[in-house]
Amino acid sequence: MLQFLVKRLAGGVFVLLGVSFITFIIGYFTPVDPIRQLMGQHYTYVGWLQLRHAYGLDLPWYQQYYNFLFHCVKLDFGTSIHYQNRSVGDILKDGVPISTELTSWGLLLTLLLGIPAGILSAVKANTWIDTTNMTVALLLYALPGFIIAVFAQVMIVWCNVQFGLNWPVANWGTPWHYALSDIQAKLVPVLIYGAAGYAYFARLARTSMLEVLDQDYVRSARAKGLSERAVIYKHALRNALVPLITSIGLSVGLLIVGALFIERMFNIQGIAHIAIDAVSQGDFPVIQATALSPRLA
Amino acid sequence: MGTSGRGFERVSRGSVTSTVVRKAPDEPEPPLPEDTRPHLSPLQISLRYLWHDRRALICGGILLFLVALALIGPPIYQHIGGISPSDLSGSIGPGLYHQYYHEELSRQDELPSAQYWLGTDSVGRDILARLMQGLLISLTVAVVVEIVDVGLGLLVGILAGYYGGWIDQLLARFTDLMFAFPSLLFVMLLVGVFGSSAATFFNKVPLFGDPGNARLLVVSVALAFTSWPMMARYVRGQTLQIKEQQFIEAAHACGTGDLGMIVRHVIPHLLSILLVAAALDISGTIIGEAGISLLGFGVTDPGSSLGLMIADALDLTATHPWEVLVPTVVLAAIVLSFSFLGDSLRDALDPKRNNC
Repeated sequence: MLQFLVKRLAGGVFVLLGVSFITFIIGYFTPVDPIRQLMGQHYTYVGWLQLRHAYGLDLPWYQQYYNFLFHCVKLDFGTSIHYQNRSVGDILKDGVPISTELTSWGLLLTLLLGIPAGILSAVKANTWIDTTNMTVALLLYALPGFIIAVFAQVMIVWCNVQFGLNWPVANWGTPWHYALSDIQAKLVPVLIYGAAGYAYFARLARTSMLEVLDQDYVRSARAKGLSERAVIYKHALRNALVPLITSIGLSVGLLIVGALFIERMFNIQGIAHIAIDAVSQGDFPVIQATALSPRLA
Repeated sequence: MGTSGRGFERVSRGSVTSTVVRKAPDEPEPPLPEDTRPHLSPLQISLRYLWHDRRALICGGILLFLVALALIGPPIYQHIGGISPSDLSGSIGPGLYHQYYHEELSRQDELPSAQYWLGTDSVGRDILARLMQGLLISLTVAVVVEIVDVGLGLLVGILAGYYGGWIDQLLARFTDLMFAFPSLLFVMLLVGVFGSSAATFFNKVPLFGDPGNARLLVVSVALAFTSWPMMARYVRGQTLQIKEQQFIEAAHACGTGDLGMIVRHVIPHLLSILLVAAALDISGTIIGEAGISLLGFGVTDPGSSLGLMIADALDLTATHPWEVLVPTVVLAAIVLSFSFLGDSLRDALDPKRNNC
């Protein structure tokens, strides 16, 4: 067991190192010179050399990577190139509460709705409940979040016109506040954010539960006269949950990619939105930090 | 999307197949089926199965229509329509106003009409023309990425599965890494860093340059780079299974070498599996390209892509929902068609399915 843990931990460290190395090396080989961009019109060769030295960009790559890693461990991602005097941490600080709020609600929705829906589908297999549920899940899984978001926004607009409502189409209220207007703004993005995960877990839970319900020990439990409720919730459910728990880790990637689109579509100023802006501004320290931050968390 | 989807297919189709099987013994002539059956190759059986799958037919039809639209749509569309007054160039024909980059500023945000079949967008460009160009971009990227993906995946996967050893170890570590890195984030990183220089570098190349899709090359490379490890891992698993089977042992006994074994015995068994995996993968690639363009890193504005069309119309959702709905519906149709077709293909090519 200990050996296994050590092995997994070593694997995790390896992955973290690999990810940080890829982010670093892409930034290192960029054909755009950040210092030249920083200086803009005030370019002189001497100044360029000085700034290059000040940013540590004249060191050989392994030393730069070492510095980069060392600073990352201290959660110091350096200084933004686009906003010249702001540290990267300062830029990310605004987005963190919003993104964590979105992610935690999305994950909650995914798990608390997706798994029960899948279990229900398996228990009522081949009834209309199962068929509708799985059709919806299939659609939600196959379609990316941004397509669903467009449909939802058009629906909102239609409802606003039809019923004279004033539901916000794209916004995010104050983070972690739940007045009526906040809930109005947050409801639709969170629902759509959770949709992909919901579909994923519903389908997975259904398959896993169906497999378990076919096993001999479930038949034995029924044969010894346990109530259907006890069979399903005490005997079958616990074993069906095992493969689901292992795949929660995988769904984190799904959540991050989902956040990119949800924050773009609904104009939410979270980390993903900062990452998008940073990429379009060529702000490498910020890009690297946003690429790394989900792994550190 | 794998196993869970399949369970669903199986259950929902169970009743249909069982009735087919039950009918067979009722037929009064026993020798006839004995005569006709051996003439069907496995491929023919699969095709017949696919032909009777209505969902696959509909999806295939939609895809064929969209491909045809992208390929032969623009030249036809540019010959339909009369002369029309323009803001800047006097009177112009359909060859110009049905061009995907032609802006007609006095005719913004129009609904469908005889001149603009799907209306115009916020700077007065024809939505149908932009749609066709966007489809072309989506399909091109999908095909290019799939070729790289399947090629590399097949090569590395077979080497890892057949020989094992250090290639296998390396592949396992590499896929772990790619799992840890959300692929879209990686694509964004690559495009963000190399995109602008690719734009200046490829501007001279006619295919990429002028309509603003120079970054597409970076996008394609990045998408292919993120998707092939999954394919390789999948191929590796299947190769391991095939390697254990008896016909391989028999071929060994006959003195077949490694290369002959791979080319003549392993790869033919992988082809149907690869076809299914590629069909399911294509929808992911198309989503990826549209998503990257939607976030503003793919095709830039004089050019057209489904994702870019959505992004352009996004601010107008409240006032002109039509403009955002058109590309979204088409994108949804492609994506769903590819995934459903992939599912149907998997059922049709599965040798263990229980009819025919």
